[in-house]
Amino acid sequence: MEYQEYQLRETAAKLLEEEKANVVIGYGLSKTGKVVPVFITRPEDAQKLVWNSECHQNLVVFLTRPEVKRLGKPAIVVKPCDARAIVVLANESQIMRHEVYVIGMVCEGVNEDQGRPSSRCAICYGHYPQNVDQVIGEAEDAPKDLSKEERRKTGKYQRIEEIKALPPDERLAYWKREFSRCVRCYACRQSCPLCYCNRCVADKNRPARIPTSASLQGNFAWNILRAFHLAGRCVSCGACSAACPAGIDLNLINLTLANAAEEQFDHLSGTKVGALPLIGTFSESDKEDFIR
Amino acid sequence: MAKIGVFTCWCGENIARHIDVERVSKAIESLPGVHCSMNYKYMCSEPGQSLIIDQIKSLGLTGVVVASCSPHMHLKTFRAAAQLAGVNPYMVEMANIREQCSWVHADKEEATAKAIELIRISVEKLRHNRPLQPISVPITKKALVIGGGVAGIQAALDIAAAGHEVILVEKEPSVGGKMAGLSETFPTLDCSQCILTPRMVEVNQHPKIRLMTYSEVEKVEGYIGNFSVTIRQKARYVDVNKCTGCGTCWNGCPNKRIPNSFDFNLGNRTAIYIPFPQAVPARPVIDSSRCIHFKNGKCGICEKNCAAGAINFNDEDKLITEEVGAVVVATGYQLYSIGKEQSNPNLSGYGEYGYGKYKDVIDSLQFERLISASGPTGGEPKRPSDGRVPQKIVFIQCVGSRDNAKGVSYCSKICCMYTAKHTMLYKHKVHDGEAHVFYMDIRSGGKKYDEFVRRAIEQDGALYHRGRVSKITEEEIDGVRKLVVRGADTLTGKPVTVEADMVVLACAMAPTDGATALAQKLSVGYDEYGFLSESHPKLRPVETNSAGVFLCGACQGPKDIPESVAQASAAAAKVLVMFSQDHLTREPEIAHVDESLCAACCACVQACPYEAISIEEIVDRKGNHVKNTSRVNPGLCMGCGTCVAVCPSKSIDLEGFTEEEVYAEIESLLS
Repeated sequence: MEYQEYQLRETAAKLLEEEKANVVIGYGLSKTGKVVPVFITRPEDAQKLVWNSECHQNLVVFLTRPEVKRLGKPAIVVKPCDARAIVVLANESQIMRHEVYVIGMVCEGVNEDQGRPSSRCAICYGHYPQNVDQVIGEAEDAPKDLSKEERRKTGKYQRIEEIKALPPDERLAYWKREFSRCVRCYACRQSCPLCYCNRCVADKNRPARIPTSASLQGNFAWNILRAFHLAGRCVSCGACSAACPAGIDLNLINLTLANAAEEQFDHLSGTKVGALPLIGTFSESDKEDFIR
Repeated sequence: MAKIGVFTCWCGENIARHIDVERVSKAIESLPGVHCSMNYKYMCSEPGQSLIIDQIKSLGLTGVVVASCSPHMHLKTFRAAAQLAGVNPYMVEMANIREQCSWVHADKEEATAKAIELIRISVEKLRHNRPLQPISVPITKKALVIGGGVAGIQAALDIAAAGHEVILVEKEPSVGGKMAGLSETFPTLDCSQCILTPRMVEVNQHPKIRLMTYSEVEKVEGYIGNFSVTIRQKARYVDVNKCTGCGTCWNGCPNKRIPNSFDFNLGNRTAIYIPFPQAVPARPVIDSSRCIHFKNGKCGICEKNCAAGAINFNDEDKLITEEVGAVVVATGYQLYSIGKEQSNPNLSGYGEYGYGKYKDVIDSLQFERLISASGPTGGEPKRPSDGRVPQKIVFIQCVGSRDNAKGVSYCSKICCMYTAKHTMLYKHKVHDGEAHVFYMDIRSGGKKYDEFVRRAIEQDGALYHRGRVSKITEEEIDGVRKLVVRGADTLTGKPVTVEADMVVLACAMAPTDGATALAQKLSVGYDEYGFLSESHPKLRPVETNSAGVFLCGACQGPKDIPESVAQASAAAAKVLVMFSQDHLTREPEIAHVDESLCAACCACVQACPYEAISIEEIVDRKGNHVKNTSRVNPGLCMGCGTCVAVCPSKSIDLEGFTEEEVYAEIESLLS
């Protein structure tokens, strides 16, 4: 990991020196020593970049931000799961892929705050970054990837199966309990690399599509709407779950839809360059047996 | 401030019998924005419309709700009336209290309450409506006709006669279609070739028609008035401009035993060929899959013999792009290959008839070639197996048609007539022959049609058996191979066995191969069998739901020649109506993008079934990129609203059915 960090700093400095990038979006340390996003624009500042097990945030969210776009041509540090979000952004024409230099880190798994292993790592799709411009780290250092079947046996999937097995009223009660805690801070939206709309439909007021106050009804509307907007798009990076101050495991919903997309349409978001959006593409051979 | 007039119609008794119209009018009066609420017996009539016009003028109404029938029926009527009185036509709403209320409810109390609700939501929507202006689109006054059969030829000639340019595309080497292969035509028995070939020549010589044979439509882009069509002109290996059609090449070609598909494989042709002697253009093509030169580079006799130097073995497919304003589809029909391998998985076929197994069991189009003067036997009815003149022929109708179990559910419409014609033509040539017909019903509706069938039975002595054939076997009887046809006559209740020399199957009509693929290129709907869908069976029979695309002939459903020709002229008339103006007026109820909000995620671009949405770049005055946005082409958009449903940020909206208007309706219903 330390050698990866050294390589990363060298790479970043070189990119900035050679003006292949005007800004390197990566991880750094705050004054209190916490890992935070940093935007390096000068080669000498490349030493501020860090790479360790606390680098859990998905930085791809910054690629579509206007204030970051103004800094010029970006290079970005991504984990294998984050890299899938880049593919989706390019597929949805939000970024020109050739205008972004993607530095993919071979990842051994990261922790969220307080040393807790990140929930995204529980369902890791792969430790070696795909569809990136440069890989830092050695494949053999990374843990073995889980197969689809092994992934289905992890705790996260077991939890989904448990909830799905509940009778409808108990399942509703479960989500009522969860969503009643939602304060509608929209941290899930802000942290999501794929929530890039200029005006979120939640902020639309003529007519208001969903109630804006943090009532149970409005919370349901918001969270379900967000899940559907991410159906077939979510790359299961877990940024929303990590960001939620109320501790709602939003990834459970997104993962359920992602599973449906994978099972029904063989569509694993962010793994195929040039893939068409799952919702909005129709084919005569589409399965219909899940419509009841 | 909205000033709304509500006009409730009795529709004679249709509405008034089940809805208390007076009470409805009274209840609506007090709604916010409503300035007058009246009712009348027939609102669509002249006095009814005058009532609306007078109220608009005297009260200065800004919008009108008409509570009556479905908007499909009379929205245009009431919009026109409102426009006459000076109100924007899109400030007219209709509350459907007939089809959706009085016709479906028996309880007057409940129906009246529902009618009031329906009107209330329409008033609420109207309060949020905005006046809209019709859209104007320029027109390219040039038409594309796809299919060079009798329907396509007629449509092309009619459009060209009005002075507009036409491109006529035909996939075969010659125009003429199925009709060119027929012998005589019912009910007059006039020679098919005699009436068609002059028209074939005419399309080739007409200065306004560009005839493109051996060509297929590859791609269609654009929209009504402004289509861009890519046509693939297949390699002919013969320069049509140099060729004189002298025939030296096909007479000299050593490869003479290739089944001729124009004769439905009953006759042979050469590798360089014209499908039939009267082909238009009378220019041959080389079948590269059978030509010796393409196999081993040798032969080349045609090239050596051609005095004009027209043979070009290096010819390649050409892609030609043409701009047209209207498209007429006339791709015609084919017969289901009953008995052989089925392309349609819903058909189980008729293996018991032995088609494809017994040489003398043929289909009706093959029989046409056998008795056609231009056919492989020169018009002599001869058995394909041994060339003997058949003394007994069995004609079986409804092979595939009207058979839910094995075939298609529809009636192929023309078989009763042509089978009667076949018996006549056969009897005229073989006076002592016997013509047996097995039929389910005789359907001979049409001018002089039933008389024609009666003539076949009464004067020409065709033997009609009402019943089905269960099995055909080939047996040798007295040293001659016969087809033993076992069936039943349900009128006498007895089994019938006929030892026939030949059996002719009147197979069901099906759309041509590739018709559905073409329909998809043109965004035209089609039914489960692949027949293309008209916009409305009665009121818009030659239009499609894809604006600027028209239908004629058997591609839309089974049809005979007179009907196909009539429909072709109708389609041409529709094209000419379009071409009579320089600009097209289109309904403004189309999607509209709020470009400042659009994030250009392309969801709408993918979802749009009409390919009406594209991603455009917005640049500042110096040409710097500001952002991308989706943009709707007003000529292409059909206002279906699929884009609105998929847009995550709702940056796209449907004029006339905006989110604001629809939410107002829903909220008023829930309040």
